[in-house]
Amino acid sequence: MKKVLVLICVWLAAQTAFAQEFKVAKSTGRLELNIGRVTVEGHSGNEIIFSSRDNRESKDERAQGLRPINGMGLDDNTGLGINVTQKGDVVEVNQLKKMNAPDIKVLVPKGVIVSFSHQSQYGGKATFKNMENEIEVSATYNSIELENVTGPLAIKSVYGHIEASLGGNIKGPISIVSVYDYVDVALSPAIKANLKLSTSYGEIFVGPEFNIEIEKQGNWVQYSDKVNGKLNGGGLSIDIRADYGKIYLRKK
Amino acid sequence: MDKQKWEGRLIDYIDGRADAAERAAIENELLHNEAVRNLYNQLTEVIGAMNEARVLEPSGKLKANFEQALQEEIASQARPTKTVFFSPVVYRVAAGFVLLMVGLAIGYKINQSNVEADRLARLEKELEENRQMMLAMMDNQLSASQRMIGVSVAYEMEKPDDEIVNVLVKTMNEDVNTNVRLAALDALGKFSNEEQVRNELIGSLKTQKDPVVQIALIQLLVTMKEKGVLNQLEKITRDAGTLKAVKDEAHAGILKLS
Repeated sequence: MKKVLVLICVWLAAQTAFAQEFKVAKSTGRLELNIGRVTVEGHSGNEIIFSSRDNRESKDERAQGLRPINGMGLDDNTGLGINVTQKGDVVEVNQLKKMNAPDIKVLVPKGVIVSFSHQSQYGGKATFKNMENEIEVSATYNSIELENVTGPLAIKSVYGHIEASLGGNIKGPISIVSVYDYVDVALSPAIKANLKLSTSYGEIFVGPEFNIEIEKQGNWVQYSDKVNGKLNGGGLSIDIRADYGKIYLRKK
Repeated sequence: MDKQKWEGRLIDYIDGRADAAERAAIENELLHNEAVRNLYNQLTEVIGAMNEARVLEPSGKLKANFEQALQEEIASQARPTKTVFFSPVVYRVAAGFVLLMVGLAIGYKINQSNVEADRLARLEKELEENRQMMLAMMDNQLSASQRMIGVSVAYEMEKPDDEIVNVLVKTMNEDVNTNVRLAALDALGKFSNEEQVRNELIGSLKTQKDPVVQIALIQLLVTMKEKGVLNQLEKITRDAGTLKAVKDEAHAGILKLS
């Protein structure tokens, strides 16, 4: 029995030793993630902690003893396939490979503004979980998923879909835009908000629990479908837009 | 002969105010000096007449009339006397009271207008502070949401001043974040009936490279029925670097405008 325990301990120690981490002591300011895919989670510490979730990336025997470089003159200073640089209040994260983005997990303290920006199509999903941080996303192809976040949110993806589940003490403004794909937002129907939902060629679906006081737009001919209204008398601003996609607003 | 000197001496003599030596001197002179004697005669005549006039008594009827008038006057004065003594006090009190009230009223008014002015000044100060805060928020480079809140404050305004319009235009054209640009476009859209704003919106169509903002901008210009952008929309439909959705929106815009 003891042997088994010792073995487990050794195995766990080995695991943590192999699972590389890179830490930056920072609990305020701004984290800019210019990488293809990422999972960001909130935590209560004072450090931004980067780790890689890639196991599939096998060691390249030929690259042994060499270091990867890239056109931007960045070094892999983390051992995770990313470069992390601090510039004043801003921590900038760039990936070294143009394609095949590393799968990075980041733990961020509450006070850090998190910005994700990626324009190339060689990326993946960006996921944000359990965060009270302000989140900015500017993506072209990435799909964005936000679970249990409070906002403020400024989210844009041109081709990707956006799913957001808002909880806790929600803070405005909330602005979510996708041009071609759907936007799915879940939140409490009890929220006080000024709501703007707009689509040009898509449709808008709203849960029956939401009682939207729609502002009349006079006798204007509406070419596109726009809903401006208040939830529970109005409050923080929620702006959702999907030009070609559908909008879903559901109860959480 | 010193006539004036002699007149004085003679008058004193006639009135019996001269002493013995003076009397003797004057009597001696009266005997020998004809001019003095003439003067003496004139003077006695005048003084005599004056003395006679002094004893002239008003006639009994006149006196009675006067007495009666006097009594009447006294009688007529008697009652008014009462009010003459009393009324000033009442009036004074009343006047004092009225003055006090007027003073209070004026004071209140002045105070009121001061309060009003204070309130206005405070409101103005608050507005100015809000404005500065809003501009500061719109300049917050770290936080897109702060910039968005700044823009939404501008959106709530009745009529923005030039500085705010300029900042909104700059935000719409240059902000790094699409959502912030969209919010600025939204705010400017609300003020699109102003010439300057309209021109800036039209101008932005040429420079705007953010597809999401381009689409929203085309939609706005179409609802504004701005036919002046037809050429620019044509250009967008032919631009190889433009996102398909933007081209589609431009095509749709051309159809709706022409």
